[in-house]
Amino acid sequence: MAGAPGGVILRTAGLRKHFGGVQAVGGVDLSVPAGDVRAIIGPNGAGKTTLFNLITGDLAHDGGAIYLDDQDVSGLPPHQLCRRGMGRTFQITSIFRRLTAFENVQTAFLTHHRRHYNVLRRARSLYREQTSGLLERVGLGEQAAKPSGILAHGDQRRLELAIALASSPRLLLLDEPTAGMAPRERHEIMALVAGIARETGLTVVFTEHDMDVVFAVARRITVLHQGAVLAEGAPADVRANADVQRVYLGNPEPTR
Amino acid sequence: MQVLSGLSVGMFLFLVSVGMSLIFGVTRIVNLAHGSFYMVGAYLMVTLVELLPDRPWSFWVALLVAPLGVALLGGVIEVGLLRLIYRRDPLMQLILTFGLILVIGTLVLIVWGPDNKSVSRPDVLAGSVPVFGQPFPSYYVLVLALAPAVAVALWLIFYRTRWGMLIRAATVDREMLGALGVDVSALYTQVFVFGSWLAGLGGALAAPTVAVAIGMDGDVLTTAFVVVVIGGLGSFAGSFVSALLVGLLQSFGILVFPAISIVLLFALMAVVLIVRPWGLFGRAEE
Amino acid sequence: MTASAPRVIAIAVAVLAIAPLVLPPFFLQLLTEIAIVGLFATAFNLLMGYGGMVSFGHAAYFALGAYAAALLVKKAGLPMLLALPVAPLVAAAGALVFGFFIVRLTHTYFAMLSLAFAQIVFTVIFKWKGLTGGDDGLLDVWPPPLLKSPAAYYYFTLAVVGLCLLALHAIIDSPFGYALRAARESPRRARFIGVDVRRHQLLAFVLSGLFSGVAGALFAFYNGSVFPDFAYFPKSFEPLVVALLGGVHSFYGPLAGALGFKVLEWLISRQWPIYWPLFLGGIVVLVIIVLPGGFVGLVSGGRWRARPAA
Repeated sequence: MAGAPGGVILRTAGLRKHFGGVQAVGGVDLSVPAGDVRAIIGPNGAGKTTLFNLITGDLAHDGGAIYLDDQDVSGLPPHQLCRRGMGRTFQITSIFRRLTAFENVQTAFLTHHRRHYNVLRRARSLYREQTSGLLERVGLGEQAAKPSGILAHGDQRRLELAIALASSPRLLLLDEPTAGMAPRERHEIMALVAGIARETGLTVVFTEHDMDVVFAVARRITVLHQGAVLAEGAPADVRANADVQRVYLGNPEPTR
Repeated sequence: MQVLSGLSVGMFLFLVSVGMSLIFGVTRIVNLAHGSFYMVGAYLMVTLVELLPDRPWSFWVALLVAPLGVALLGGVIEVGLLRLIYRRDPLMQLILTFGLILVIGTLVLIVWGPDNKSVSRPDVLAGSVPVFGQPFPSYYVLVLALAPAVAVALWLIFYRTRWGMLIRAATVDREMLGALGVDVSALYTQVFVFGSWLAGLGGALAAPTVAVAIGMDGDVLTTAFVVVVIGGLGSFAGSFVSALLVGLLQSFGILVFPAISIVLLFALMAVVLIVRPWGLFGRAEE
Repeated sequence: MTASAPRVIAIAVAVLAIAPLVLPPFFLQLLTEIAIVGLFATAFNLLMGYGGMVSFGHAAYFALGAYAAALLVKKAGLPMLLALPVAPLVAAAGALVFGFFIVRLTHTYFAMLSLAFAQIVFTVIFKWKGLTGGDDGLLDVWPPPLLKSPAAYYYFTLAVVGLCLLALHAIIDSPFGYALRAARESPRRARFIGVDVRRHQLLAFVLSGLFSGVAGALFAFYNGSVFPDFAYFPKSFEPLVVALLGGVHSFYGPLAGALGFKVLEWLISRQWPIYWPLFLGGIVVLVIIVLPGGFVGLVSGGRWRARPAA
């Protein structure tokens, strides 16, 4: 589904979070236009995951606000954010392990179309074509009938992507989508994401440690440092930014 | 007057709850059979008072010995059963202690029979004393005098002895403790035995004030749950405060209508669950 | 479900149908009880195997169903055929009220609170002598003359239980059931595909309570009387053990478990009636100690910690 062209789909204003005495996120202003592919990078402890969890409602914020399409969504629970068009994947792969890959995605279609309170129909026969299609798109066509828990790590990540996409999000947040993958697979999956984003106008925001992947895929980069935005802009500009070089790129993060 | 009897009831609850809380805090096992330990303490009291000659000191000897019997039972259970399942799925651990309720309950039924029993108060405490112009059973004076004494003693143990420090450390990080060379397994046994002793003491102390009957395990277990939910599993202060609170609620509830106390408890528990699910003093574990 | 399952079911149904022609009344009664316990355990397993929530106090809903049926017949003068559909609604209402609080918690706290609520139901039944008869229970709760014989009530029970099983099967295979399983597997993933996990689990809890209430009501008329211990520990233990014995990850597991459990209970109780809870508890303790995985079929493969809901 296409987002409003030219509109800002995600905006945070002065977002803050502290744990005990530590300021994990201190006043982050983020603005993501529709259709952007935005990478959020920063050293460990910079607050990337915290920021993510604040935006997705998994953590309560201490100050500031979050806007989705100019509507204040701060503090909404995850299932309502999903209904408003926000999707996400998790750093630790979260799929429905004892269901087959097919059932995983099928369930997402069922809930997206709000049919999950229906006790009268057989779920097995619903949304089969859409499910097959989506599984093919992410490269899991062959694996559809397998219990998702036994899939290889990379395939599980693809599955989680498919689950998130089944809900037709307009904004997709990917938390360390390539964690635990070999370099080639990393590029494959991010190319897949970028391809889908181009086709559908989906806005993507992701955190990442591997700079090769970031520079290959991202249209804009936001650099976080100690809970605040250090720099933001097109990849070439960010790479050339002196502060960023000093703080981050100068001490390359070991690629995982 | 109701306040004082409520506080007494709270005292028995405290002994049971703090034992359960302690065991959970260190071993991470919720001993569902803790109410059964309380019941065994009360029944042992019955038998000991019957067996001992009718002398002024016999009550006190029974009071001393009964909890030890329960502590022994706890030790046998810990060494014989629980040790084998510490590494298991917590669901299985819970089911096991649930099963123990049935085992212990039936054994009590077999040994003591289905009739209600009672324990008479010792002569010196059989009467009443005037409190605020009203006659107040002297036995409760004992309980209320014991309450702060036990609480202080426990506090001293937890905060002023080396053993207590080990216990507190274990509730925070067991693995670290093991890595530092502490015999964690022995500590578990000691904690379980101590917790059982506390429950047994609660039962023995309560025996002269209630009908000692089959089914007391269920009643006290439920109330102890409420105490622990409200106060927070693993919190000493939580057990104390919420036990007194619950005891008071029960006493005042009875004034109004016997079933009301249940509703009040339920309501209080509901409020705490909505506002602070991990209990007033508990830690939100992540 | 394997391809042979429909055939197995057909054979089972056929066998059950002709049973009264072959078996003496005592065994018909045993089969009736097995059917009732099988329904109770299947309703329980909706929550445990499919929902990932282990209730230690499901006797509450069984008892509410049983007492509601008895009271409707005795105090409100309803005929049994009217009391039977209404009584489970009382159980469902109880499940709604209790479940509202219980589903806010997980794992150990969930189990403890569900146990506490069952004890509360027990205590209310026990103490409210005026309404429930307290310890004496309520007597003379019989089906109408037409259904009173062992064979007649046996067929009746099979019919009702069969209908309920069909309903439960439909629920599990429905979109509701898929979302329930998703919530069990990964609550946070489920939330982010739009499932209000807490509400979903509450609904499952209510459905489970509803069908447990049917089992309770059926039992009330089978037994002819209701007693407070319908809400006591051993009764809460029953569906748990039955489901674990038979296997929680299959729909028919609890039914198979009910068969085994009841036969075992019959064999032991005829020798030593008082000792049955001792055996029940003892056997369970032994199985857990001796078998490496405890019972076959754990509920959630993940780690279980004692904490309130995230």
